[in-house]
Amino acid sequence: MTIRFLTTDGLAQWLAKVSETRRVLAPRKEGKSVVFRQWKAGDPEPVLAKATIAPKAAVFPPCETLVQYKSVKDAEDLSKTNLTLEAPTQAEPTLLFACRPCDARGILALDTPYLNGRFKDPYYAARRAATVVVSHTCDTPSPTCFCTWVGAGPANPEGSDVLMTSVDGGFVLEAVSENGEALLAESGLPDGADKMDQARATRTNAAKRITARKDLSKAPERLKARFTDMAFWIEQTAKCLSCGACTFMCPTCQCFTITDEGEAASEKGGQRLRSWDYCMSPMFTREASGHNPRMAKAERMRNRVSHKYWYATEYTKDHHFSCTGCGRCIVQCPVSLDIREIVLKAIEE
Amino acid sequence: MNEHNPLLPEVATVIETIQETHNIKTFRVRLDDEERMAAFHFEPGQVGQLSLFGVGESTFVINSSPTRMDYLQFSVMKAGEVTTALHKLNAGDKVGVRAPLGNWFPYNDWKGKNVFFIGGGIGMAPIRTIMLYLMDNKKNYGKISLLYGARSPADLSFKEDIKGWLTDKKLDCTLTIDNPAEGWEIDAKHRVGLIPNVLKELAPKPDNCVAVLCGPPIMIKFTLMALKELKFPDENIFTTLEKRMKCGIGICGRCNIGGKLVCVDGPVFSYAQLAQLPPEL
Amino acid sequence: MPVLTGKELRIVGFLCNWCSYGGADTAGVARATQPTDLRIIRVPCSGRVNPLFPLKALMNGADGVLVSGCHPRDCHYSEGNFYARRRLELLKEFLPVIGIDPARFEYTWVSASEGQRWQQVVTAFTERIHKLGPAPKFDDAAPIYDMPALAPAAPVRTLSCSPNPALDELKTQLREALAEGRLFCAVGWQQGFDALHATPLYMRKPEDVDKLVWGPLNVHSTANMLFQLIKDAQAAAMVGVKRGDPVPPAKKIGLVVKGCDARGVIELLQEKLVDREAVELFAMGCNGTVNVEAIRATIGPAARVESVTGEGDVLKVVADGKEHTLSMKDVAQDKCRSCLVPNAPLFDHFAGQPVAVPENAKPAPAAVLKYLDGLTLSERMGFWKGQIERCIRCHACRNACPMCVCREVCVADSRDPHWLTQEDTVTNKLFFQLIHALHLAGRCTGCGECNRACPMGIPVGALKLYAGRIVGQLFDGYSAGLDPDAKPPFLGFEVEEKNIHERHIEGA
Repeated sequence: MTIRFLTTDGLAQWLAKVSETRRVLAPRKEGKSVVFRQWKAGDPEPVLAKATIAPKAAVFPPCETLVQYKSVKDAEDLSKTNLTLEAPTQAEPTLLFACRPCDARGILALDTPYLNGRFKDPYYAARRAATVVVSHTCDTPSPTCFCTWVGAGPANPEGSDVLMTSVDGGFVLEAVSENGEALLAESGLPDGADKMDQARATRTNAAKRITARKDLSKAPERLKARFTDMAFWIEQTAKCLSCGACTFMCPTCQCFTITDEGEAASEKGGQRLRSWDYCMSPMFTREASGHNPRMAKAERMRNRVSHKYWYATEYTKDHHFSCTGCGRCIVQCPVSLDIREIVLKAIEE
Repeated sequence: MNEHNPLLPEVATVIETIQETHNIKTFRVRLDDEERMAAFHFEPGQVGQLSLFGVGESTFVINSSPTRMDYLQFSVMKAGEVTTALHKLNAGDKVGVRAPLGNWFPYNDWKGKNVFFIGGGIGMAPIRTIMLYLMDNKKNYGKISLLYGARSPADLSFKEDIKGWLTDKKLDCTLTIDNPAEGWEIDAKHRVGLIPNVLKELAPKPDNCVAVLCGPPIMIKFTLMALKELKFPDENIFTTLEKRMKCGIGICGRCNIGGKLVCVDGPVFSYAQLAQLPPEL
Repeated sequence: MPVLTGKELRIVGFLCNWCSYGGADTAGVARATQPTDLRIIRVPCSGRVNPLFPLKALMNGADGVLVSGCHPRDCHYSEGNFYARRRLELLKEFLPVIGIDPARFEYTWVSASEGQRWQQVVTAFTERIHKLGPAPKFDDAAPIYDMPALAPAAPVRTLSCSPNPALDELKTQLREALAEGRLFCAVGWQQGFDALHATPLYMRKPEDVDKLVWGPLNVHSTANMLFQLIKDAQAAAMVGVKRGDPVPPAKKIGLVVKGCDARGVIELLQEKLVDREAVELFAMGCNGTVNVEAIRATIGPAARVESVTGEGDVLKVVADGKEHTLSMKDVAQDKCRSCLVPNAPLFDHFAGQPVAVPENAKPAPAAVLKYLDGLTLSERMGFWKGQIERCIRCHACRNACPMCVCREVCVADSRDPHWLTQEDTVTNKLFFQLIHALHLAGRCTGCGECNRACPMGIPVGALKLYAGRIVGQLFDGYSAGLDPDAKPPFLGFEVEEKNIHERHIEGA
């Protein structure tokens, strides 16, 4: 596998070179948050911090147009209308720069429904094929990080194309996929194999800092057994506000809604939009008849936790949890609800 | 179905609308692309998403039989935003269609068996497709029976079809309504009584028989109890499920029951399969 | 009268059917010449004009909006324009916070016979708008992403993180209430996922009270869930009751309250959304809460917090074996700095001594309001553009708000009325915040939960504080959530308003 070395001073120059052929998405400080935005040559250097929100918008934007529709009356026969539909599925070549391994693993988790289900989503597929992911491995994980509990880690390569690790004077860039190899091959950067030991030491130390791993292997069967234990779910969910903070922060949450905006017969026509939706909303599963299988928030939290720690193990290729242990849902929850606590309590006999 | 882009509907034209009951309307549509209409293939039980651009999309079973491809038929109960807008359509209007989606009735497993259909209200729609399909392939199946019930004679859908079903030799058809009504002459084929009770009167034998049961939740609950009293095993009872759907192709995460998605793993399920799933219908 | 030269601008007019529309008609019949920029929307009454209508018009490209109704005291429906006067005055004074020139919005009273006056009003207003020029658009504004580090306002009273000696007394009161069985549940706080976080505690049995904590980490509003919990208690009372049998009264909801939490409950009482009998308040004097994020920023994101203790102004945070000494003055939440209500104004039980409040104390203005006041209109537009861009529409701000009881039927989610689309645009996302701020005008108690809840660190609370300041100025220092018998200002009116005066359009 190709290993290159990038100096701290050379970072902006390398990114500028990449930005000639790719859109570069990099972390930037905005107010008190760190978000991924397009980086252009001349912009201030990216902030190499874990972003407030996972960069899944790179492959799954908060809102996108699925179909543009327009109906026009037939000039020859006014009783007929011609309905035209267009689907914008193009994607821009993109470099997702300096996300974290948990973010990249999240993108991999999104591949399961979007690429490997019964149908393939062409909008997602186009963006995914056009995106190269360079993950910055963690130096100092937060106390709320628990990636090692779910089979990942601060230098886990799954979902990444290149792993970037901080060492003295710069970064070691290690290709972990074909696309990563190609990116480094065209980078013109010097070889970095001699710095790999330092990189490995940084990665090992980071792993040591993660809160001691708890065994979650029994989670699927215990959650199955707990399904009808409503007292448990009511207790665990009592303080939940039913907002969407956890779902929108999450690297693996995939749910969306489809809404139409604009009349087909209007001058500009209209758009069918796909936008993020959150299963914690009371209206998420409400049917037109008024029946709602998950009216109670205890039922919705049960579904969320079960999906991540039980259902996902049934349909993902490697029986992964659909949780990368990034801890954002814990940090950002307005009431500090802790998913680790729920899963561990569910596992308790 | 647009294989390259399963989220992009195909344009279709409404060729006929039929007012079945006060709140159920049937639409017959043809894809505008003649080649694709000719090549269209679906299995009985599969669904389609009908789009009204500017309003939205909803899922309906294709209730015509795959053996009769002059059109695709959908029956729509007026319930919300999209269905109310659909009810305003007339012949000549355009809709979007994404079909076929979902799984289908495992009719190959039923070969040589008797099949007993029980439909309540709009639940007759999914039953119509599979029942007509079996009737068109009658030699592969044993006795085909239908028990179709509604609140009143006016609430029975497919009234034109029913006239034929009552006399068709390939089908043993019984109708029932909740309460006596003027003009409803009671006889062996026209009964009065709730579906579960009439079912027990008819007492179909469970041996070598498959039951297909569709209707509103309360009807399903009690009819299921009746079928269990008649000793039908779970693996021989089939139903179709409904859920709020958006993508219909297994990615938006909305229609799940446990780890199964109703839009790709359903809507057809046997009761044995449902027993494996967490109880959150 | 010469027709105005130059390109026509877009001016939207909301005219009440009876007086102003009639007046416009009179002007028309008299062939009075007016500029044609103004396009009229007829409403039954100026009281029908939701302040969001002019706001939506202005945010979607209108260069000016004029609302006109019957003269006060002459409303065709008697009172509609009295309500309108309050709402529209609020809107006019609120527009500058997002950088819209308040001169672009005006409300007037024109009667059906005042045709000539109508002509003058339209002409003068159109001239004014032309002088101002086309309205600046959010799309063109230069975004301001980062606020300068704002010096936090000096606290108006002494804040302290000392343990409260009356905690045991509070626990005894709660245990007794739970043991007697009169509470459906009691809401307080307990230790959270680490030493730097508390989390809400739901107590159902007396033993649960053992977990109760009280201190500067108790940031969450216990009033938040009250509305929903009352419904849960009512549903629980219905279990097992046969049709026709009398329904036993629902059990009460117990809330442990700081001063600000109690204010949320009081506001719900003022609006008659909650019955006094449905809630039992367990109060204790609050000495201030801390901004957990600010502490996190000081000690670093990776530091593992082992303990948080304090005495007086000094907060000791031990993380990774190192002791950090922080001052309550520096790390207190913004709302605590201006708080004169540390003791619940309404309670059923009060444990310990009330916290002393200095006499005639005047809180310093909130730092963020001071900052916004110092920006020009176009800078403010850029500020909100820059801040709202990172909004992800999670609605944590809405769900954390004790006053937001609409949950399942919120305008943010509704397709009919269709205020918002799902598009990820600045105008959509900012419009939701403006809807929220205007819906809360005169109701917001300044609890700051919306700010704290926002995962993207957007200062959404500033919009509510700005509206709250206007309410205080218009209605003699009115503050929400202090007196359960006070009528919220926008649910009422005065025939003669003390602080709202007739506006004149120059030249009309």
